[in-house]
Amino acid sequence: MLETGRLTLARQIWSTRQLFEVVVDVWNNVLHVTNPSSEVWASRQDYDRNVVRRHAFGSFGDMLVASARHPAMLTYLDNTSSTAAQPNENYGRELLELHTLGVEAGYSEADVKNSARLLTGLTIGRDGGGTYDAGRHDGAGRSIYGFGVPPHSAADGNGWIDAYLRWLAVHPVTARRLSAKLATRFVSDTPPAALLDAMARTWVQTGGQVVPVLRTMFDSTHFWASAGQKVRTPQEDYVATLRTLGTGMESSGVGGITKIFWHVLDQGHAPMAWPAPNGYPDVAAAWTSPSLTLSRWNRHMDFAAGWYPPELRFTPALQLLPSIPSTYGALVDALGVRLTGSRLNADEKAALLQYAGRSEGSPCSSGDRWVQNNLRYLVALTLDTPSFTIR
Amino acid sequence: MSTASTSGTANDPRCGCAEGSRLTSRRTVLRAALAAAATGVTTYAVGDVSTQVSFAAPGWNGETLVVLSLHGGFDGLSAVVPGGDGAYYAARPTIAVPRSTLLGLDQMFGLHPAMAPLVPFWKNGTFGVVHAVGQSDPTRSHFAAMEQMETAAPGSSVRTGWIDRTIGSLGTGSVLGAVGISNQQPRSFAGPAPKTTTTSLDGFSLIGPGDDRPTWHAALRRMHTGARPEVAAPATTLLSAMEDVAKLPGRTAGPANGAAYPDSDLGRALAQAAVLKKSGAPVQVIALDYGDWDMHAGLGRVDGGWMRDKLTELSSALAAFATDLGSAFGSTTLVTLSEFGRRVGENASGGLDHGHGNAVLLLGGGVVGGRVHGVWPGLGADRLVDGDLAGTTDYRSVIGEVLQKRCGAGSLGTIFPGFGGSPLGVVRAR
Repeated sequence: MLETGRLTLARQIWSTRQLFEVVVDVWNNVLHVTNPSSEVWASRQDYDRNVVRRHAFGSFGDMLVASARHPAMLTYLDNTSSTAAQPNENYGRELLELHTLGVEAGYSEADVKNSARLLTGLTIGRDGGGTYDAGRHDGAGRSIYGFGVPPHSAADGNGWIDAYLRWLAVHPVTARRLSAKLATRFVSDTPPAALLDAMARTWVQTGGQVVPVLRTMFDSTHFWASAGQKVRTPQEDYVATLRTLGTGMESSGVGGITKIFWHVLDQGHAPMAWPAPNGYPDVAAAWTSPSLTLSRWNRHMDFAAGWYPPELRFTPALQLLPSIPSTYGALVDALGVRLTGSRLNADEKAALLQYAGRSEGSPCSSGDRWVQNNLRYLVALTLDTPSFTIR
Repeated sequence: MSTASTSGTANDPRCGCAEGSRLTSRRTVLRAALAAAATGVTTYAVGDVSTQVSFAAPGWNGETLVVLSLHGGFDGLSAVVPGGDGAYYAARPTIAVPRSTLLGLDQMFGLHPAMAPLVPFWKNGTFGVVHAVGQSDPTRSHFAAMEQMETAAPGSSVRTGWIDRTIGSLGTGSVLGAVGISNQQPRSFAGPAPKTTTTSLDGFSLIGPGDDRPTWHAALRRMHTGARPEVAAPATTLLSAMEDVAKLPGRTAGPANGAAYPDSDLGRALAQAAVLKKSGAPVQVIALDYGDWDMHAGLGRVDGGWMRDKLTELSSALAAFATDLGSAFGSTTLVTLSEFGRRVGENASGGLDHGHGNAVLLLGGGVVGGRVHGVWPGLGADRLVDGDLAGTTDYRSVIGEVLQKRCGAGSLGTIFPGFGGSPLGVVRAR
């Protein structure tokens, strides 16, 4: 469990497949199973590997069916103990609300109850894997948000459950809602309707294939205009800071990544650790608090100075730039370009020069005592700027 | 059961005035403070003499509302058990709390035995309950229900949180006016009024160049000039809050009066809330979260399991908080809120699905305790709503009464737009 969390964080920081890691994170939040969580200690690792990662660039319908039949989800949302006599509504509700249509779709409480009843029979077998137990299934005829199920034999229930899940996976309402999840991660906290329409169209046309939907998004002008729109979440800030500083993985052991993991967990944003079934919020309003700002700034300082965790291979501040420019103004500009991708704005530059107690044209060199002693503080302040906070 | 009538409260919800002479004197003080504030010269001293500290806090009467969110759907029927209602036992053949184990409150209700730490406060009249509390929109979705509860403006276009609007209308202007003991801002904080979040007052400071803190703060302030509000506001709030917190007395002191908090996140968070309150900071609202109540399966039995463990932790933490506060308990009102209660009947998993009506717990020096307030609708089949306990009291009635009688709020029109409930008599006016 903790290993899965640490491994995911390490992949986010050091994997060369960055797009894949981001998409995996989005799906892990849609089909969320809290990790670590004692009830799924034996199954969550496999869920990550064989449900989310296996299908992250494949078919959402396949991912949804795999999720519904996986012991981690069956346990987490209690379908394993749901029976025809006493249905447990937890999974039947969250399947509609969180995994597919969304609560704004306007389904009724009767739909929720019918959803739970149709899903009876999906449970965990003696071998610990997901299975279908016909003896638990309620084969009555019913309708769920327009999906009609005739009265059927218990043996046919398994097929009707699959049909229901696949119908939900490609429903236009699901298509638009999950397109919005992707676009919220990649484009904006309030993605434009035109983009969502286009993505949802691709979703429906391709039967819920993830890659074509991503392509539609990346081909849109909205995506290319999205730089500077999103505020980094705590998890993204960690990953971006360590990546931009060129921090290396520890040469052996897991002491460093473990310390990073505890930090991110303490900030309430370790991968997959959100305590409720709805996954982490992905908008700035959820993450821009004073206490998180404090943690963020303190970690910038730790990483910029290479103070903590000592196991990681930090780049010394003096080696971040190929050479030290000849003025303090140029030094601050160079730090901005190196760490945020462009020069800092006037307020940010003024703040850094004010901290250094120097002016734009003050001469500077690699032999400068102030630079040798204090460059790490300028690096930390550069990472604290709004320009770095926004991606 | 009818609502309380013995607490001497006035019926006009816009006034909330009782015990006229005390109120008059308080109002006089308040008016003077406000008048002085207009000239920008006042400081409003608060707190015990021993810990007195001055803050510019016009508009604050010294009361602190503590909102403890029980996210996940708290089962009020397992905590404050309607042991006198046979339908309760019929509906829960394996998980009901046996009547013989209840800590007797009255003919209908008894407390789960895990709540024993709160019995002394029940007996001295500072712990009370409102039962069958609900929201006007009976959604059974956790997330829609939390959103509605914390926005508290159903049917309107208002999207700020109710604590934001409370702070905005009572405003001290201090960044410590509303404090979340958490990393994330509660949804009820959403909006423009200043608020802060912290997980610990000890260590609420920046690492960095050790000898040059003012210069470091100044640089951070400068770089956020002109930044987008969602980035600039938490940054500047943090800098101000760190500077204010550094002035607070006793922020690293341990619990007082022999209070023993459980070694848990809730225990630590309530201990921090007590430190903040006792320091005399002008904190009007403290928000905390104690989740994990979504007991669809395996709720457990009276002598062991999920519910027993959660109620044990909750009750011991609340009792420690009340004890630790000492004299500050008199100006503190704690209210628990949960997005909904749970289904009356148990399911096949020995758990409870989402329901509606719920119990609200109240703890504080001004609480009219030792009784179960509210209108009990009963658990008979004809009294249930879709299998759930009906909500006969809107949760905004409970909070609104506390805000008016304890916290000095006037009209609730801004805080709870469109709401016209009346007070139940759950607290005494200050």
